[in-house]
Amino acid sequence: MISSDIRIEGFDARSWTNLLSLFAPQVTERPKTAPRVSDAPEIDEAELAGEATHGTLFVVVTPGGRVLAARHTRKGRVRGLVYTGAGSLAMLGASHGASRVVVMREGALEEIVSRASARMERHDDYLAQWLTVIRAVRAAIEAGLVEIWPRPLANVPIPSAPVLARALDAVLPDERSTVLGVFSRTLPWTLVALRRSEGEIDRIVGPDVISRWTGPLGGDFRRDHRVISEAVGRHLAPVHLGIFADEQDLRALLRDPRPGAWARAVVARDIIVQPTPPYIAVALAADGMRAAAKRTESWIEGTAVRDVLSQIAPLGSFLRGRAAEVASVTQLLGFDPLKLLASWLEGAEEDPGKTVAGNPAPSDDDE
Amino acid sequence: MTARKRPSARRSAGPSELDKKRGATLVPERRVVRVGDRDVPFLAGAVHYFRLERTEWRAALAEVAALGLPLVETYVPWAVHELAQGAFDFGPSQTPGGDPQKDLGAFLEIAKELGLFVVLRPGPHINSEMTWFGLPERVIHDRSCQARSPSGGPVVLGFPPRMFPVPSYASETFLAETNAWYAAFAEVVRPHVYPRGPVVLLQVDNEAAYYFRDAPYDQDYHPDAIALWHAYLRERHPTAADLGRAHDANYAEHTDCAPPKRFDLHDESDPATPPRALALHLEWAAFREHLIERAIVRMRDMLVSHGLGGVPTFHNLPLGELVAPMSLAKIEDTVGFVGLDYYHARREHRTIKRRTLYVAGTSRMPVSPELGVGAPPWFTPLAHEDSMYTAMVALAFGLRGFSLYMAVDRDRWYGAPIDSHGTPRIEAAAWKSLLRALETTRFHRLTRRVRVALVIPREYVRLARATHVYGPITPVTLEAVAGSPIEGASDHPLGFKGPIQVLWWKMLARFADALTRAGEPYVLVDSDASPERLAGIEAVITPAFELASPERWRALTTFAKEGGHVIFGPTMPSLDLTLSHRPFEVPRLGTRVLIDHDTDADAAIKTLLGHLSQSPRFSCPLPVEVCLHEDETGPRVLFVINPEKQAREACIALPYAVDTTDVMSGEHFSGDHELRMPMGPQSCRMLRVDRAARPDAAVMGDGAALGEAG
Repeated sequence: MISSDIRIEGFDARSWTNLLSLFAPQVTERPKTAPRVSDAPEIDEAELAGEATHGTLFVVVTPGGRVLAARHTRKGRVRGLVYTGAGSLAMLGASHGASRVVVMREGALEEIVSRASARMERHDDYLAQWLTVIRAVRAAIEAGLVEIWPRPLANVPIPSAPVLARALDAVLPDERSTVLGVFSRTLPWTLVALRRSEGEIDRIVGPDVISRWTGPLGGDFRRDHRVISEAVGRHLAPVHLGIFADEQDLRALLRDPRPGAWARAVVARDIIVQPTPPYIAVALAADGMRAAAKRTESWIEGTAVRDVLSQIAPLGSFLRGRAAEVASVTQLLGFDPLKLLASWLEGAEEDPGKTVAGNPAPSDDDE
Repeated sequence: MTARKRPSARRSAGPSELDKKRGATLVPERRVVRVGDRDVPFLAGAVHYFRLERTEWRAALAEVAALGLPLVETYVPWAVHELAQGAFDFGPSQTPGGDPQKDLGAFLEIAKELGLFVVLRPGPHINSEMTWFGLPERVIHDRSCQARSPSGGPVVLGFPPRMFPVPSYASETFLAETNAWYAAFAEVVRPHVYPRGPVVLLQVDNEAAYYFRDAPYDQDYHPDAIALWHAYLRERHPTAADLGRAHDANYAEHTDCAPPKRFDLHDESDPATPPRALALHLEWAAFREHLIERAIVRMRDMLVSHGLGGVPTFHNLPLGELVAPMSLAKIEDTVGFVGLDYYHARREHRTIKRRTLYVAGTSRMPVSPELGVGAPPWFTPLAHEDSMYTAMVALAFGLRGFSLYMAVDRDRWYGAPIDSHGTPRIEAAAWKSLLRALETTRFHRLTRRVRVALVIPREYVRLARATHVYGPITPVTLEAVAGSPIEGASDHPLGFKGPIQVLWWKMLARFADALTRAGEPYVLVDSDASPERLAGIEAVITPAFELASPERWRALTTFAKEGGHVIFGPTMPSLDLTLSHRPFEVPRLGTRVLIDHDTDADAAIKTLLGHLSQSPRFSCPLPVEVCLHEDETGPRVLFVINPEKQAREACIALPYAVDTTDVMSGEHFSGDHELRMPMGPQSCRMLRVDRAARPDAAVMGDGAALGEAG
């Protein structure tokens, strides 16, 4: 799925960090956090006390359960930690201010790495290689070599590489490209296009390259999107999915858990999704339907749905006859990737309760 | 106290006619490459010809020269040039019908035309975000070339876009393949070596740290590595009986001594007696350094045998140099110098400082062969401000040169100051200003006066590695992430009074803190380093526990006998590295200290500074730090650093009046008794000292009370 010859080019530092900040703000903010004044990071034991619950606590224990070393990803080495068994992980997390705890038996990591290395095939691509590693980790958990608390993905099945490739077929077919254009006021804030060729993602290009293809842009993404998509189609591959938005709106939308938020943004042209592949169209339409269901206390029946669909008519038209396509992606994977992404982004944020309008997210969201 | 007699640094004579004919020479004392009659500081920019359109080479190189860089640097990737085993494409100038993008000779010609000297890095390891790290796939998948895990399996590195089994630095097959590659490379490069061409420096291999799979029991159990292990043991312990005594084991032959496959002494340790088997683990940790050093020697010799012996060489260490299984000082026995690679965000101020103090204290030419300007997409994201802060803070603490990696953008990279078409980005202006300032101040020749060295005991570094408990998650990775070299070490006391593998760093770190609080400049010196590295140092501080290297201790007592102050502790050693009792001499004028609290270190430093020679000092309340750089005429450059996220005003107490200019902004700051200036959040100012009313100027050779500098 990822070519060994993949080319990634055309980003300056700003456009790249801007792109990352949309999906992983904590990664791009981290370099700016202040260092401690001390020259001796590992002796700031005082910091272990009184801080909010964040980060992961790693503990290595002997087969007999004696702690050999422990470290907190945000606080460093932890001394004097006592492990009393698998049932104590939640307590360890609470007492050491960690939101995750991983306890490893001595030799567990060696076992995982050895098992994964032995099972990798020479022609596996990067994704397939990672799936092998993930399976080895899960096997180690099941064998009791590794304990993790909490385990939010415990019930998520590990798909095979061919299954993921088939799912990708629906999202980005072969010899097609996808474009994301994000603007800040009248300037491109970041641009990225990626291409799938011969079954693999083989090229990712940034603003330097795309702007050479487009020439000067007008500064309004609602008009520029056509120029960008045409240029990318001409130089890379026909565009299968294009998403264009203002930076603030897109950032907020990515974190907005309310049903209908995306559908409303599309209708209001706060975000341009053009071209709109069936999977996205169906997802957007379903999003609108969920919003409608929320309001009318009904679901997929009655006039309420038709009312909503009439409001989002451009999207509703995609729904007809394509329900099978959206279902196929979720069925193939065994989980909804968009739902997983939203949940991850929500969890990654410092303040997950904020929505697009700055209002608290509804707590009774049944999604 | 009486000034200590110091060993003088090795001096090289000026370039002879023979030198000029022979080509470029390295002059570490002046931190330059001598090229003809020019002293060329190590200021380079990376341009990957093989990743740029052939038509863009000239524009890209012209912009590199326009930045103010005298050197251009490039990898020469084996995988790019090898078509099949024994068949190479070096472009039309070498290979009929060759790919113009691979025309190394043409690239070198353009560099020469533009007045640039060239640094070449032929690997074999180059990383460079290339698939298979620039090695041919056929080599990667040749089982006889692959490093081995304890169970004999391949050792797979998880870098995108493909995980791959890493080669073995001990594999004779791999070294033979490398030799063939070097032969092909040398044939192309020989005609371009200075004075005929622009090539003035060669890097032998790259970041030789077991391809980042460097955890102590992760590799290398290749049959050739095992054979080398046994040869190493024979060298150190002539008979099997000697070896058995050292390890407290029975060996009929050296080959009976199998390398340890994990640290298995946690449950064997008697709470009161250190296990003798610890000697085996320490020896394995030392051997793994030896294995790399030997590979570097072999590769250097290959380049020499292929006619490139006249070109000075160097090597670079990746992040985590304190715990990586190699010794900067020992590798410098083979190549001209060893530098450190820097990829840091602003928040890593302490790491930038610590690493620079280490390279400044340990390397004979403290430079950075890779100073990250931008980063690979899969690395911690770095903004322009991160790169600039890293460069300036490293210069402040003693770095004397760098290669901007990358100067020109390319595939799998973002953020270089020049794009892949040779067009300067907006950030290029800042680099140009900095480089101009380095040139006008002749920064490579300046000195940051240091009286105190923290000496890092290599045996404790090895102990920290040997007791690593996180399996294949390497100590290097943990150090890079957490900023301390003991992050992966066990907390088990192993029969000592406490876990030496952890406590040694705690002691050093407390003293580093105390010196910073006292405003006293210091450097970190590896105990492996030549005694020359302590030239000019008046006091050393070093950890000491029950176990110690007799060689290190001898160097310490020698330093003390020559008049140097020694602070050590908390324990007087009594065991050598085979855990055998032996007498250790107490250093003359040595002060043994306990370091249970920060205040212990503060008190010891206060007493120490009272004994050292006095000199005028620039000082500033923390967190702002100041670093002064001088030459024989007086102060030339003052760095002011605010590592914190909050903006603040710096108030620098002056020992004499100065006029200064910020080399980046052009602002002027003057004062008789103090300098005040606004400092942005996480910022560093480089102030050129335009005028200094130094009272001892005449004594120092100024000839005038008001020395003009700049």
